[in-house]
Amino acid sequence: MYKLLLSWRYLRTRFIALASIVSVTLGVATLIVVNSVMAGFVDQMKNRLHGILSDIEIEAPLMSDIPDPELHADVVRQIIGDDLQDLTCVVRSHALLSFEFHGRPWTQHVILLGIDDETFGKVTDFEPYLTNEIKKERFNFTLEETGYTRFDRAGWPYRREKAQSKRDFDRMMREHDQLYNQAAQQYVDNHPLQQPDGSPATQSAQNNEPVKFEFAPLPAMTPNINNAFPVENDPSDANDLAENQTQPPQHLPGQTVMMSPFDPHAHLRDKVNLEDLFDPMRDQHAGIVLGMAISEKKSLDEDGNPIDVHMLLPGDDVQMMFLSAGQQMRAVSEEFTVVDFYSSNMHEYDSSFAFVPLSKLQKLRGMVDPLSKVGSVSAIQIKLKAGADLDAVRDKLKAEFPGAEYYDIRTWQDTQRPLLSAVQLELTILNILLFLIIAVAGFGILATFFMIVVEKTRDIGILKALGAPSGGVMSIFLGYGMSLGIVGTGVGIVLGLVFVNYINQVADLVGWLTGREVFDPQFYFFSEIPTIVSPTMVLLVALGAIMIAVLASVLPALRAARLHPVEALRYE
Amino acid sequence: MSDLAMSTTKPTRSSKSSISSNIRIAKNAVMSVAGLKKSYFKGQLEVPVLKGVDLEINTGDFTTIIGQSGSGKSTLLHLLGTLDAPDAGEIYFNEQRIDVLPSRKKEALRNSEFGMIFQFYHLLPELTTLENVLVPKMVQDGFFTYLYNKREYKRKATELLEMVGMGHRLRHKPNELSGGEMQRTAIARSLISEPSVLLADEPTGNLDSENGKEVLDTLTALRKNENLTVVMVTHDESLADKSDKVIRLVNGVVE
Repeated sequence: MYKLLLSWRYLRTRFIALASIVSVTLGVATLIVVNSVMAGFVDQMKNRLHGILSDIEIEAPLMSDIPDPELHADVVRQIIGDDLQDLTCVVRSHALLSFEFHGRPWTQHVILLGIDDETFGKVTDFEPYLTNEIKKERFNFTLEETGYTRFDRAGWPYRREKAQSKRDFDRMMREHDQLYNQAAQQYVDNHPLQQPDGSPATQSAQNNEPVKFEFAPLPAMTPNINNAFPVENDPSDANDLAENQTQPPQHLPGQTVMMSPFDPHAHLRDKVNLEDLFDPMRDQHAGIVLGMAISEKKSLDEDGNPIDVHMLLPGDDVQMMFLSAGQQMRAVSEEFTVVDFYSSNMHEYDSSFAFVPLSKLQKLRGMVDPLSKVGSVSAIQIKLKAGADLDAVRDKLKAEFPGAEYYDIRTWQDTQRPLLSAVQLELTILNILLFLIIAVAGFGILATFFMIVVEKTRDIGILKALGAPSGGVMSIFLGYGMSLGIVGTGVGIVLGLVFVNYINQVADLVGWLTGREVFDPQFYFFSEIPTIVSPTMVLLVALGAIMIAVLASVLPALRAARLHPVEALRYE
Repeated sequence: MSDLAMSTTKPTRSSKSSISSNIRIAKNAVMSVAGLKKSYFKGQLEVPVLKGVDLEINTGDFTTIIGQSGSGKSTLLHLLGTLDAPDAGEIYFNEQRIDVLPSRKKEALRNSEFGMIFQFYHLLPELTTLENVLVPKMVQDGFFTYLYNKREYKRKATELLEMVGMGHRLRHKPNELSGGEMQRTAIARSLISEPSVLLADEPTGNLDSENGKEVLDTLTALRKNENLTVVMVTHDESLADKSDKVIRLVNGVVE
């Protein structure tokens, strides 16, 4: 009883000791704030990292293919069993994206993913990160009329407007050429060529008509438009719709057409309206979803404020160049129409991924078996049910998947291991450093307690004279240290939690005081600082801090316990 | 003075040769000491303080140990109260040797059998008068036992404080009390455990004559009322006349 009473009285009467635990308080508060903010950031980061990575991926090694994805999928379903939520197949390829911006060509390396628009969204967090409101609900590769809330103009209206202005421009250029030619002709007419001696050029004077070049007539032929513009009639490929819709103009049979060796299509120019084949006002190429950061660049507006410049908008066409599959590689080039953007705010993903329809990419890369019509894929992506142990399932797959050693089977965490472990290391080091602050506070307590023991020597003597055992005297000071620790930690916890709760206001305040924004949402992609307070973390920090306070009071308490009562009483 | 003469003869009976386990102890002696030696070290130098002290303290007596400063009287009292251990010799309390007891038993003795009063009162400055008186009980009991008995202890402590004339200052801290008041509080504290022996180390040494007299009166009154054995150490010859027995200590031996 006297131990508690005296600990309590010392706590209440010795404010200098409270000063020594201010560092405990600050250390605890800082630990809680740092851990909460880091946990918030890590959580957000993991969400985003996980983003378009599936839980588990089975990849064919060395960029080769998985020839029969359905067979593989069946085996996977069998092995994983109940834990399986969904799976999808993807084709992955490095590619070169090129487009025009302000008349300048831009090229950029991207990782091209052929995805199945039905299942990909079920396996990964793909849809929530799209910018189009309609596509967030139900994803497909067609350009939308509306829903592009992030852009001032986008989608079909923009595409039509752009095609119209291109058409107007072309017409203007044609008219310009005509005017120029007329003027040039007039000039030539009015200024007949003259011989060096001044006499008019006889030939042109005699023959005012321009020189005409004629080619030997080639064998007459009837062009087959269907051959000239091969269109595959694959109704399953909805993205080829644009090409299917194209109705080639009918030529009258028997009509003779002259073919130019320089421009084999010249004879068609007048007869076929190219816009009937592919009209940008009406048709789109196969859709592509680009990472937001691929075509975005930071710039400054007139007032010096940073703004995002979108070099591409939904509705623009881009050129994509990539290699075909197989041993004999060749470059394939194809046009795609940007239908949406992927914006996870993970720069690594947003700046490198582009998504196109799986079947289209398989066809373009020559991955479809000519006999069985089965397209091979690069990887099978698997989503497990919530709560399933990723590592366990991965190990199971590795153990049971036939020929597992030829495949690369990994979880998304394995894929992002370097980044995740770096963040973990960072967090660990921060915690160690901050605990060192509390340890420093421990030495402060140690010093203060030695002073207090010296000051209380006589009281210790009195207590011993009254029959208090050494252990009791010791526990007074241990209890004192513990109560100091508890008070310091308690205040620290309250401070820390309040700080975490109002962290955005605090950031604003600091920003206002220093005139410099502490947390710029533009760079962090969060509207506010994310925080997660884990009760376990708070408890561990509190226990650690109290432990340090108690440990620091052990030495002074031992000294107090060892005091000889007579000498302590004589002390004056 | 007859008491004095008697007391001075008593220790001489148990001479150095008779320091043994079969020492004859007077039937009515609550405490007895035989061949007690104690020295202190000042650096390498050994300073002998007690050079073989033999004495007996009778039950119910008011015994005064008188000696000049440096005669070793305080050391003797500390040894009697088991606050210190002798270099040689034996100390008996109720026919039981106490200087060799384990520290736990010594603590129990100090707590419940001996009451101690010091020249500098030695109250705990953080506690009120009442709490100071209750400290021996707090030390004696465990946490829950104390809480259980708290009401009873408080009543008893209040009674004791009223008895020593401190009933009106229960909630005061020591620094708000005068020297006499502090010493009376210390007396109340020494009595709370109902000890059989009261050991007083110059209880009036730091008080003016009026307060000193008051304290002394309290002590003598106690002895009469409570049938308590009181051992008082002092250098003041004038205090000796109230005691039943006077022991003179000169240069570490009983005169």
